Amino acid sequence: MKLDSGPPTLQSRRTLSLRFNLPISKTHQFWDGLREGKFVTTRCTDCGEVSFPPQADCPRCMGSNVEWVDMGTDAELVTFTYVLVTPTSFVQNDPYVVAIGRLGQGLKILAWVEGSQVERLKVGDKLRLEARSSSDGAPYYVFVTAP
Amino acid sequence: MRKVAIVGIGHSRFGRRAEVDIAELAFESIKAAMEDAGVEKRDVENVTLGSAGGWYEESLPAVVVNEYAGFHNLPTMRVEAACASGSAAVRSAYLSIASGESEVALAVGLEKMTEVDTLTSVELMGRAGSYLWEFENYGMTFPAYYALYAVAHMDRFGTTQEDLARIAIKAHHYASLNPLAQFQKEITLEKAMNSQMVSWPLKLYDACPITDGSAAVVLASEETAKKLSDTPVWIKGMGVSSDSANLSKRDDYVGLGATVDAARKAYAISRTSPQDFDVATCHDCFTIAELMAYEDLGFCAKGEGKNMIREGQTEIGGKIPVNVDGGLKAKGHPVGATGVSMMVEVSKQLRGEAGPRQVPLKKGNGLVHNVGGTGHYCYVTVLSRSA
Ligand SMILES: [Zn+2]
Repeated sequence: MKLDSGPPTLQSRRTLSLRFNLPISKTHQFWDGLREGKFVTTRCTDCGEVSFPPQADCPRCMGSNVEWVDMGTDAELVTFTYVLVTPTSFVQNDPYVVAIGRLGQGLKILAWVEGSQVERLKVGDKLRLEARSSSDGAPYYVFVTAP
Repeated sequence: MRKVAIVGIGHSRFGRRAEVDIAELAFESIKAAMEDAGVEKRDVENVTLGSAGGWYEESLPAVVVNEYAGFHNLPTMRVEAACASGSAAVRSAYLSIASGESEVALAVGLEKMTEVDTLTSVELMGRAGSYLWEFENYGMTFPAYYALYAVAHMDRFGTTQEDLARIAIKAHHYASLNPLAQFQKEITLEKAMNSQMVSWPLKLYDACPITDGSAAVVLASEETAKKLSDTPVWIKGMGVSSDSANLSKRDDYVGLGATVDAARKAYAISRTSPQDFDVATCHDCFTIAELMAYEDLGFCAKGEGKNMIREGQTEIGGKIPVNVDGGLKAKGHPVGATGVSMMVEVSKQLRGEAGPRQVPLKKGNGLVHNVGGTGHYCYVTVLSRSA
């Protein structure tokens, strides 16, 4: 029984911690590529549709024949925000900057932004995608501002 | 399809409701809606619960709520369309009557969000998108998603942070006239502009609070509605649409495609246009969301939402009064309850029972705009005094 002010409540003694095993066997090439600093995604060989995030089945023609193609790393800033109130599982992090950038082929991608100009972002800025590895070795990616 | 009317409305007090569990909270609205409709338990043939869930301890809220209220052996389910779960519940009940399956059906909206701590609540909403690509590595939050829209809209159309603050001031003003609202006090421009930055450019006073609450509506067929009520509110049409899970898949960030599409469908089904309404509830989980809704629903042209708020066009007496119950922003946003709460408010308005916040009734139509997630789902419902 919680005895602070307010109405009486029973605090549950059972806690639930969720950790998911995310299946990536059909798109592991993307994460493998990241480890080598490369950005690749899927292109449907039946209709030519390029998808990001990569997917093994084509959302346009529903075919399942895809090849891996280079995404490029040059991007233009479409929109962004500075996240100051962060969720429970990010409380260890400093506030971060999230942006959506448009790549050369028109694909868009969401990632954190780093670099010297991060305090002075504006729509239309040039960004570059870079692969990163977390302290426990998990691959991810960020945008970096032009110097 | 048969005609369907709202014949009973119920609404709990919104806010931090630590003194009730989910079933007790839902019961407040269910009982009030049934009393308002003048129906007994034996009359109700279908109960649909709108609740996104995850914030409270029960995994099967529909049966928990039904057991508490004493509903047995009925067709029932919990439906989820994120923050539009309430409208989804109304749609399910509506279809059960329109199809001829039921004469009387109950739609209940419910959320109890304060049983977990605030940052866990932030996390649950931040995961509402495309988990691996938006949350796992980038910790997106609900304010952050809408901030991406705010930045793009401000850049494209010159909308300002002060325009957004004015929407919050309007919301708090009307909430102060709504005894069921979470916030009961007016705020000043200075207070809104100086509030804590949550996800730039959105501040604390641009964001809806975390809320417990419920709302319920009793729906009936035309024949039954005419027997039960002198003031039935007719559901003239529901337009429903959706958009990509992953925000990076969207074409643009200055409006919600799902709203544009759902509105187009709703206007077509109900043979109405944006000029035909006395009142609207727009989904203002964030101030920018209300401003974009003015444009996406066709109350003004794209980019001119800022003028609507600057000129007071969405206040009572303006072109189209919006969220004169306080909106999600100040009435509160118990996620699954919100859509049903909107139906209750617009029904009250069309029945002429909204007291100090009553809008003048000239056209007899009201609009309910309920978005799920960050434009992931959208329900636009046209309500009317005439069948
Ligand atoms: Zn294809």
